[in-house]
Amino acid sequence: MGQFAKSDGRKKLNTNDSKSTENNSQTIGKSILENEQMFKSLFLHSSDIMYREITIHDQTKLLMIYVDGMVNTDMIISNILEPLMYKGLPQGLGSIESVIEMFEQERFSVLQTKKVSNIEEISDHILKGNLAILVDGEHFALLADVKKIETRSISESAIEPVLRGSRESFTENLRTNTTMMRRILATPKLKIESLKIGKLTKTDVAVVYIEGIVAPPVLNEVLKRLKCIQTNGILESGIIEQYLEEAPFSPFPQILNSERPDVAAASLLEGRVAILTNGTPFSLIVPMTFWSGLQAPDDYHQRFLFVAMIRWVRYIFTILSVFLPCIYIALTNFHPEMVPPELMLNIASLRESAPFPTVIEVLLMEFMFEGLQEAGLRLPKQIGPLVSIVGALVIGEAAVSAGIISAPVVIVVATGGIASFIIPRYSFSFPLRMLRFPLIILSGILGIFGIAIGISAILIHLLHLQSFGTPYLSPVAPLKMRGLKDVLLRWPQKMVKKEGDQL
Amino acid sequence: MKSTAIIFFQLLIPLLMTTGCWNLKEPDQLAFVGGNGLDLTEDGKLEASALLVTPSGVGGGQSGGDKKGSFHVMNATGKNVSDALANMQTMISRVVFAGHRDIFLVGQKLAEKGMGDTIDPFMRSAQSDMRAMIYVVKNGRPKDVFSSKPFFDPFITTTLSDEQEAIGLKPYLAREFVVDVLSDGTQPLLPAVSLNPSKQYSYSGTAILNKDDGVKLVGFLDKKESTYALWIADRISSFILTTFVPEGDGNISLTIDTIGRRIKAKQIEERIQIDVHLIGEGAIIENNTNLDPSKREDLLLIQEKVNQKTKKSIEQLVKKVQEEYQMDIFGFGETVHQQYPRQWKKIKQNWPKTFPTVDVLVKVELQCNDSGLANSSLNRR
Repeated sequence: MGQFAKSDGRKKLNTNDSKSTENNSQTIGKSILENEQMFKSLFLHSSDIMYREITIHDQTKLLMIYVDGMVNTDMIISNILEPLMYKGLPQGLGSIESVIEMFEQERFSVLQTKKVSNIEEISDHILKGNLAILVDGEHFALLADVKKIETRSISESAIEPVLRGSRESFTENLRTNTTMMRRILATPKLKIESLKIGKLTKTDVAVVYIEGIVAPPVLNEVLKRLKCIQTNGILESGIIEQYLEEAPFSPFPQILNSERPDVAAASLLEGRVAILTNGTPFSLIVPMTFWSGLQAPDDYHQRFLFVAMIRWVRYIFTILSVFLPCIYIALTNFHPEMVPPELMLNIASLRESAPFPTVIEVLLMEFMFEGLQEAGLRLPKQIGPLVSIVGALVIGEAAVSAGIISAPVVIVVATGGIASFIIPRYSFSFPLRMLRFPLIILSGILGIFGIAIGISAILIHLLHLQSFGTPYLSPVAPLKMRGLKDVLLRWPQKMVKKEGDQL
Repeated sequence: MKSTAIIFFQLLIPLLMTTGCWNLKEPDQLAFVGGNGLDLTEDGKLEASALLVTPSGVGGGQSGGDKKGSFHVMNATGKNVSDALANMQTMISRVVFAGHRDIFLVGQKLAEKGMGDTIDPFMRSAQSDMRAMIYVVKNGRPKDVFSSKPFFDPFITTTLSDEQEAIGLKPYLAREFVVDVLSDGTQPLLPAVSLNPSKQYSYSGTAILNKDDGVKLVGFLDKKESTYALWIADRISSFILTTFVPEGDGNISLTIDTIGRRIKAKQIEERIQIDVHLIGEGAIIENNTNLDPSKREDLLLIQEKVNQKTKKSIEQLVKKVQEEYQMDIFGFGETVHQQYPRQWKKIKQNWPKTFPTVDVLVKVELQCNDSGLANSSLNRR
């Protein structure tokens, strides 16, 4: 297997852990007043933490602590407050030793309860939307699961649309997401391991895989690297991605992201590991190969001949999107004899009044194109279309008719730009967009020879790149004939043995 | 990774220095040559002429405005071709770029003196495009041909490069000319153009050159003779044949588009005999006779007459070439070479002298497989 992360991160983790356990191993006391004071000082200046004190039968004092807005108030009233206040405590404790144990077993009709004495654990649970009940005279708190967190409903995927296939996409709620995975893969072999990452956010992260299909070294590596993450906050799976990837300076993403449960499930069936993060609909899928960046979610849902054709269209457009601008420069500036005479004369006539060298023209246009793309992305939806109109007018029309940019350059840059839109994984189009610029400069200096240098450098890098031990270009390099069928053609389903041996 | 990259770039640095491929030229720094011409001036100096394309006068886009002329003809004299071209460069503000040269014209004067020395730079220069076509200018000078204005294209060179295919010839490119000049058994036969009084070019047959004597012009064949000669040399793909048929008292025109030829050499004692078997299939496109090609006997009659007449013309042509020009433009020598490779070594030296004495048997086999839409001539009903 490939290079795995160095272990200095882990050492840090261990030392930190031991420190934190020393500091926060306090347990709550028996006096409810003291405990209340203690929690109030812990949650100082937090107006959303609610304290509710009740007394039952004039003898037992209870304190409830919860976060307003994260709990189901109906449930608290009907399942917890009502049984306590109206029915009260039964006479005597009988064989049950503590009040809390009695609540847990006889009174509260909630699904999950937990007895905890550690202060930090209690506060964690409170902050996650659980209700804590403290009883005077007992150094335990009873935690009841009455969470009710407002979430977005499952909607259609915005950035990974398909013609055919499931319309649902992940949401921000981890539990909803794992439910979706479980619904697709209804097998006990589907394992969902849970972790908490981030000192302050304590984000729930789930590592999902299918036992028996997943490659154990990959899984172990994923778990190992996840446990090494040392940070205050995980707000999005992209942050985890940056902690997990092996070559942060590579332009190519080494971890696939998808907001589609069917894509995640299909990857699991191929033996990959999915990482779901609470708070983001984007799941991470490892290991990733170059070719999976060029596969659309519904490639396997359409009929084989069509997909085989579309895949090749995609490959050709991918090549065009990277190489078209630099090939144009090399051909017109260094090797004009390679262009058909009529075309060359046309280009020459259109360039007749151009003030800048071709390289500068192309760089300018590429720069403008990237700017337009970013502007279109960041603008509010209402003014978004304005960018395209202004962009089309300014760049397409005015720049050419004013004689600042020659028309062929506009065609070349626009074609290359459109070609990069065909890439089904949005994050995979970033490296292609970035690589254009060095290639343009290389071809502007050395012509076709420069492009050859660029291609060699890219290929050397790609051949060297690995994602969790899987060579990035596999199954093409190293060559695996069975996997190749899927890369070149996407063979008919019946003829492909699906055993998760694609990696 | 780092070490790989370092080794990689270290290997590249010497490459950069050895190739010396810094040749960046923007298209607007280049003067595109459409065609080059060579001729002798009145006082016998070598004169190079070039048709330079004016990009602003050609291309699409930026419509309207005043379009300049689409081309410009430059002339310069010099000691040899390179000298003349260097002299030409002094009159042009852009670097002459011959990579898109379509046409190479040789004036009749130069061809008569022998063009062997002057072809060299055009074949030797790396920039030279071996797919250019070569023409001899009959009764004229290259610069006049370049100056003539064609009606389809903006300049004459594209027209000339389309011309051969339009009249049914297989394009004869510079590289084929070089092959012919260097071969033992063939003499080059170049297509020729001439200008009519109204300054319009026209295809005017072919020019016979003698590669053994400085590629000197020996004579011209007219259009009809050229057609037959190119048929034997397998350089034609279709033509229209019009024959007078005495039995029908009128002309018959055939368009022949499936053309083949078979040449066999036989050595009978010391003499060499060449069998030329020409085949062709075509359709009747015009019938001025009173025969009805839809009837079998009439069709056979037409075929027989056409074959006879064609055979006769070809025999005349072969005789003329053998006796008058004595140049093996048909490539019979190559046939002998292929069939008698051992004997050829001996024959080779004397082939130019042997060729006129060779017996040539011509057999023409034309078939009309389509009598056209009408039956007999409408006129005769």
